[in-house]
Amino acid sequence: MSIRRQCYEWRNIGQSKNLLITPPLVSNNEFNDVILNSYPVSAINYKVGTASEKQFWCVVPIANNAVVDIFNGDIGNNLDIPGQLKAYQFIVLDGIAVYPETFNAQIIVNTTRYFQDPDGVPSRDGGISGATVPFPNGAPPSTATSLARGRLGGMLNIDFQEGLQPPVIIQPGDRWAVEVKNNSGKTWPFERGSFGLKTTTDIGVARCYIKYLLIDGADCIVAQRLIDAGWPLTVENLWRYKQDLIKSHIYAGMAELPDEIKNARRKV
Amino acid sequence: MRKQIYTWELHGDDTDGRLASSQGHYPPVGTENSILSGAFGNVQPARQTALVGEDEFIVIEKIGCTPGISPYGFRVDGAGNLVKWNPNMFINIVIDTTNYYQDPQNVWSSGVSGYASPYPIQTFDNPYYELWPPVYVLPDQTVDVRYTLFNDIQLSAENNDWTNIPYSTILAAVYVEYTLFDGTDGLMARKLMNLGIPVNVGTVENYRRLLLKSKGLETETFEFYLEAMRSERERRKRERKNQGVATQQDYDGDL
Repeated sequence: MSIRRQCYEWRNIGQSKNLLITPPLVSNNEFNDVILNSYPVSAINYKVGTASEKQFWCVVPIANNAVVDIFNGDIGNNLDIPGQLKAYQFIVLDGIAVYPETFNAQIIVNTTRYFQDPDGVPSRDGGISGATVPFPNGAPPSTATSLARGRLGGMLNIDFQEGLQPPVIIQPGDRWAVEVKNNSGKTWPFERGSFGLKTTTDIGVARCYIKYLLIDGADCIVAQRLIDAGWPLTVENLWRYKQDLIKSHIYAGMAELPDEIKNARRKV
Repeated sequence: MRKQIYTWELHGDDTDGRLASSQGHYPPVGTENSILSGAFGNVQPARQTALVGEDEFIVIEKIGCTPGISPYGFRVDGAGNLVKWNPNMFINIVIDTTNYYQDPQNVWSSGVSGYASPYPIQTFDNPYYELWPPVYVLPDQTVDVRYTLFNDIQLSAENNDWTNIPYSTILAAVYVEYTLFDGTDGLMARKLMNLGIPVNVGTVENYRRLLLKSKGLETETFEFYLEAMRSERERRKRERKNQGVATQQDYDGDL
């Protein structure tokens, strides 16, 4: 029984197969594009550009128009299995953000895509863009000009600062996913060769962030009651419903007893 | 009732940070370490996890940590001192043996990143993550906050990009903000939780006022509890109206 504020973050970072300076070396310049159930361990590349170079940091390039599932897309940090809710869980997905600004993020619940174009077709751009919901909020633009000038700060999420309103309700048993799509017109990070891929700062790291309320256990039953009654699934409403339950219980304790019980002889 | 903060910081050790010159000062990457009882950084001298006393109640309201992903976000001054480092860190809350954060496949996760909830917050930061609802830690429970670093400072030091990591450089930091309800306030907090009322400074103060007004529990207990809940709801409604965030329900009446 709990109501917990959860978040998940994806980045397109690979993990070196070799994390040792001294022999034995597994190999140089070899990376796993995906790492399961954790984030990759990284470090500054050793003597980059020399014969003794060893790579400990690299972002995985994402092709133009490629769509990557942030849970199971085989790039960056992934999960073993897709996101699926247990019979006693609800998720209220109310926050999504993506970077760079030329990437888009789409929420998928079962077979339905959340963002759609005005003609009713699922968003051809791949959802909401990083220009609207940059991650982090205030992230610098990733354009080459900005890089050259070393600008700090920049894009602000104004319209979706309160998250998705109304939020996406994911029900028990539902399967869900979030996909990001590269709409930059080039492979990301563009204008970078292999040297750029292994020396990039945060500005070259694609990322996607989601924030959600996980309701599980007995609170899931309360959530179902709220949905049945047409109430928004918020922390405050869940609390309030539980207060009412407790209050009803107290009222029940105050109710008059039937006469036959009230007048019955007391037995010790 | 006291608003508390606890910060943990990992400073440089005035060496170049290589494995040969700095043994045991920097936490191993990819592993969880406690900000209260771990072996690294400025932990409390006693190195104990926080055990909430039997007359205490803790409400954790905010956590944050150093932002930054790429190890190439480092900066070195003209004298060869490392002055900025991206730890690529995540933080997690652990109560007794339970992790607060789990991933979408319902297993343990590293927690919240510094980008989602940065510390310190700079002018261009506008954090997405907010710990809402807050986390209650009940009497006799232990609470721990653990961090995981994913950028290896010592492996990076081998590349000779800097000659010294001064003590003044903070490589990683964690921030925790919570309210400590102690003594009778702790007992009242527990009672409010049992009644399903959110525990915060306002609700505990209101409950205390009620207790004083009723001079203890001489009135019928059931009626008292009902009055407590009704009063809290009214107080909350008034507060929302005063703050200008009341909704239609607050005005139409809902009981």
